[in-house]
Amino acid sequence: MPETRSQYRDELDQLEASALGGLELVNAALERTAEAVEHQDVELAQLVVADDDRIDGRYLEVHQALITLLATQSPVATDLRLISALLHVLKNVERMGDQCVNVCKMIPLSGNEPPADRQMVEMILTMARQTRTLIAQAKRAFEGRDVEMARDLVRQDDVVDNLNRECFRLALEIGDDADRREWAMTMLLAARAIERIGDNAVDIGEQVAFVVTGLFREFEDASHPV
Amino acid sequence: MTQIAEQAQQPSQKIPVRAPRPQGPRRERGNVELQALHAWYGANHAVRGVSLGFDAGRVTAIIGPSGCGKSTMVRCINRMHEETASGRAEGEVLLDGIDLYDPAIDVVGVRRLVGMVFQKPNPFPTMSVIDNVTAGLRLTGADKDEVEDRGREALVEAGLWEEVSGRLKAPGTGLSGGQQQRLCIARALAVEPEVLLMDEPCSALDPVATLRIEELIAELKERVTIVIVTHNMQQAARVADTTAFMLSGELVEVGLTEKLFTNPDDDRTEQYVTGKFG
Repeated sequence: MPETRSQYRDELDQLEASALGGLELVNAALERTAEAVEHQDVELAQLVVADDDRIDGRYLEVHQALITLLATQSPVATDLRLISALLHVLKNVERMGDQCVNVCKMIPLSGNEPPADRQMVEMILTMARQTRTLIAQAKRAFEGRDVEMARDLVRQDDVVDNLNRECFRLALEIGDDADRREWAMTMLLAARAIERIGDNAVDIGEQVAFVVTGLFREFEDASHPV
Repeated sequence: MTQIAEQAQQPSQKIPVRAPRPQGPRRERGNVELQALHAWYGANHAVRGVSLGFDAGRVTAIIGPSGCGKSTMVRCINRMHEETASGRAEGEVLLDGIDLYDPAIDVVGVRRLVGMVFQKPNPFPTMSVIDNVTAGLRLTGADKDEVEDRGREALVEAGLWEEVSGRLKAPGTGLSGGQQQRLCIARALAVEPEVLLMDEPCSALDPVATLRIEELIAELKERVTIVIVTHNMQQAARVADTTAFMLSGELVEVGLTEKLFTNPDDDRTEQYVTGKFG
């Protein structure tokens, strides 16, 4: 039988590409955020803050278009699940961008002096690299409707979680100097923000499973850990 | 033998005007079961071995592309299909366990128990509003006052009473399209059917009249089993508890409406409801 609704289908494809393209914007923001942390680069941090408008703009634009599609095309079945999932993805993208902003706004607080603890900075940079890998993998999993790849995000995210805990341990051991303690607390908040970005990537993976199977299940239940 | 079986097997004239209705939140009568139903138009095999149940107290929507056999299948339930030239059916249609195709069954009695509303409103053109509603009742030979009382009740049940109470003697064809369709529903309800078949009941109506009919369906389902054939998938999603998808005369999938429209099991259902073919 001849295929129908090609215009609607094209529009849905484009909106998916735009929503997932938001993950590339986040990945670039996170790369700059890590660089700003590494070099205490206030100007680069300010650029990340300013550029968050692009991520927010993407959110608003695609969100509105998806709502219009819901209102005008009455999508059902896989299309409905896809649109529902894309709305979640967009929210996660917007939150990830905000976490980058949160980190960058703290960079002036961490001062222009050399890092108080190089090991802690390295750990945060490793977290950022690992999280960027998660974001890219979440995007690929969504594009390929690959549930196994999506589930693997949990394993990858465990690496980020462990590094976050290690940062906490280092902060406890940083010593009694008030300035060093303040620096460590600021870095802990940065580590926590990056850890949350990893969680957002896992959330996107859960949406992949929802699109494919029609069932929503958290890959890991934080309130009931195994 | 159940009361329905007794009614169905009696000549229609002997059926009481008002059958006693069971009390309680859920009806136990009006369960329809199709078993390996086949239907033909001459050599055209229109319905191919459909087995499907319609539960009392629920609305079931039948969806599918044009020519898939959904209307034919529904017309088999009240034996309307056999009225078509070259139309014939095989298999079983059970109403509360009684085979409606049993040779001992009175066909007129079947159509009283299984009412039908068609695509276009079809009030009798020479009859008044009240005469339209009571046309079926009058054939039963019931007392005139009782017939008119029941006609008024049916107009209330069809949500039409307030609009027509002042012009019961006016021609039925003077009503709007939506009112005419509710008049036809009232006519079907007047004889107290167990099942109401609706074949594209809103396709000739404007959106407001359509929504009135949909609200009416929701109100009536506690009293009568409703089977609705519709091309409008959003309508099926809005009104039906259960939805069945047919293709090329076969039943492809049946399930809870919310499941079928969010996560259908069969890929052909998915393709159809998402509009990839039709």
